[in-house]
Amino acid sequence: MNGVYYIAAKNLLRKKTRTALTLAGIGLSSWVLASLLGFNAGYKAALDHDIDNMGFQVLLTAKGCPYEAATLMLKGGTGLRYMDQSFLAKVNAEPEVDRTAPMLMHAVFDPDKGESGGMTAYLGVGPDSFPAMKPYFEFKQGGWFRDPAAYEAVLGYEAAELEQREVGDKMLIPDKNIEIKVVGIIKRTGTQDDGTIYMPLQTVQKIFGKEGKLTGIGIRVKKGAPVAKLEEKLYDLPDVQVVSMAQVKSTIMNLLASAKAMVFAIAAIAVLIAMAGVVNTVLMSVFERYEEIGILKSMGAMPSDVFRLILAETGLLCLFGGAVGVAGAMLLSRVTEIAMRHFLLYAPNGRIIDITPSVAAGSFAAVVAAGLLSGLYPAWRAASVRPLEAIRGEGV
Amino acid sequence: MKKIALLFFAVMLSCRIVSFAAVGCDLNDPDRDVARLYPGSAGYRTVYLSIKQAGGEAMLARVEKRLGDKFSGLFETIDVPYTLYEIQGPDRRTIGYIHGVNQKGSYGGIQVFLALDSSGTIKSFYFQKLTSRQAKELRSPEFGTQFRGLALKDFESYDVPSGKAKPGTAVAALKNPAPEAVQDFKAALRAVKKNLILLDEFVFSVSTGGKKP
Repeated sequence: MNGVYYIAAKNLLRKKTRTALTLAGIGLSSWVLASLLGFNAGYKAALDHDIDNMGFQVLLTAKGCPYEAATLMLKGGTGLRYMDQSFLAKVNAEPEVDRTAPMLMHAVFDPDKGESGGMTAYLGVGPDSFPAMKPYFEFKQGGWFRDPAAYEAVLGYEAAELEQREVGDKMLIPDKNIEIKVVGIIKRTGTQDDGTIYMPLQTVQKIFGKEGKLTGIGIRVKKGAPVAKLEEKLYDLPDVQVVSMAQVKSTIMNLLASAKAMVFAIAAIAVLIAMAGVVNTVLMSVFERYEEIGILKSMGAMPSDVFRLILAETGLLCLFGGAVGVAGAMLLSRVTEIAMRHFLLYAPNGRIIDITPSVAAGSFAAVVAAGLLSGLYPAWRAASVRPLEAIRGEGV
Repeated sequence: MKKIALLFFAVMLSCRIVSFAAVGCDLNDPDRDVARLYPGSAGYRTVYLSIKQAGGEAMLARVEKRLGDKFSGLFETIDVPYTLYEIQGPDRRTIGYIHGVNQKGSYGGIQVFLALDSSGTIKSFYFQKLTSRQAKELRSPEFGTQFRGLALKDFESYDVPSGKAKPGTAVAALKNPAPEAVQDFKAALRAVKKNLILLDEFVFSVSTGGKKP
C-alpha cells in the first residue's frame, strides 16, 4: 500500500506547478469552510455569553424606548418618557420573578468632551439589586456603593481608563456642577458594562430631577419558571415594553441567518471549484500518462491497481491541501475574525470564530471526502484504459 | 415597534469593547484636525508606539527620570499605546508631528495634544478632552498660544512634582488663566513635558542617533 502512495506522490511531483496550484485551491476551500463552520459555532456561543452576562432574561422599558434612547443620545436626555417606579412592586409580585433591578439611565451633554462636545451617560442602579444581578463582576479597586443616596460612582474599566479615575478620585457632572466620588473600578468584563458609569439610583433620580422614575427594570426569572408566561403578563402592563433577551438573541440570529446562508453558499462554491480543480488536475495527469498506464496494465497491473493509484494521487492532494487549509484557518482565525468584525453590523464579545477540534476535523473530513469523490471519475477513466489502444496512442 | 426595540437592544449589546488593550490618545477626527493644524499639508501617516515595544523597562526608567516623576496609577503604564501622526508636506517630506497624551485631571481624564514642527518645536497646543470647573478658561486660545514656540529644552528644568519652573524660563512665564484650577494647570504642564519627552524618545533621539536635534 505504501508503494502506491510513494508512486502517487512521485507522479504528483512530476508537475509541480500544477500540483501546487491544485493544493492551493483545496487549501483555500478548506480554509473558508473551517472558518465559516467556526464562525457558526463561535458567534452563537459569544452571543449566548453576552446575553447571559446581562444578568437578566427580561427587560421592561418605558414604551417608545428605542426612539427615546436615540433622543437620549442626541439631545442629552431631554423630553424622555419614563416608567413609574411603582411598576417595580407589580413586577416583583409575579411568582415567576426571582429578582429585579430597577435602572434609570440619564445622559448629559459635556461640552468639554472632544472638540465639539460629547455625551456622558450615567446608569442609576440599586446598591442591593443590581450587584446581585452581576455576581461575576470583580473589582480592580474598591467595591459597590452601599448608601442608596450616596454621591458615589462605580466605573467600568473602560470608563475609568478614559476618565483616568481611581478609587477616591472625584468626577464632575457636567452642567450640574456636582461632584461625585469614585468608590469602585470594575475589572474588564468584555461587555458593554466596561464603559458604564454606575451611580446609586436615588442619586441619579435626585440629580436629574427624575424622582420615582425609571427607564428600565431588569428581571431575572426563577429557575425553571415559564418566561413566556411572565412575558404575557407583563405585556398587559400599560405604557411599558417587554424585551425578552431570548427574542433579542433570536432577532440577531435571524438578521445573521441570511448573511450566513449567502456565506455558506460561497463556501459551497469554493468547495465545488476545488473539486473541479481536482478533477481537472488528476484527469489531465491521467490523459498525459495514457500510454504509461497502458504499459502498466500490459505488464499485469489490474484495473483495481490503477484505480487505487489514481485515487491515491487524489487522496494525497486532498490530505495535504485540506490539512494546510485547516491549519491556516486555525492559525489565522484572529485575523479572519478582525476582518469579519469589520463587515458585521453587530458582533458579540469573545471569539466569534471558534475552530474547535471537531470543527477542524469536520472541515478536513468534508474536503477530503469531496476531493475523493471528485477523484472517482479520473480513477475510473484510468482503470478503463485498454492497454493496446493506449500503447498505440489511441483512445484518449 | 417590537422589532425596533429588539434591534435597539441588539445595537446596545454592540456597545462593547473588542480589544482589551489599554486606551491610547487618538485624534477624534484626524483628517479634519490635520487639515486645521497644518493647512499646507498633503497627508499624514499614523504610527502606533508604546514604551513597552520601543524600549521596555529601560526606556520607562529613562522617561521617568527625564520627567522627574514616576508613571503612576492604574492607567499610566508601560503598555499604553501612543498614536503619532506624522504630517507630510506637498513633497512628501515630514513637516511636523501631532501627538497626544492622557493625563489625570482633577475631575477626569485630560487629553493634551501638541502639534510640532519637524524639529520638535510646538506649533499648537490644545485640550481634546478636559473636565474642569474652569474648562472654559483653560481651553481659551490665549492659554494655548502661550505654548507656541516652546520645545523640550524649555521644559527640562520644570519640576513636575512641585509644579515649579525655574524663574526666568519660558515655562515660568506661562500664565494659569484660572488660579482655582491650579491642579489642572499643573496637570497640563506635566502632560506637555511627558508628551515632548515621549516624542523625543520615539522620534528625535532615534532619527539623530541619540543626539538632540
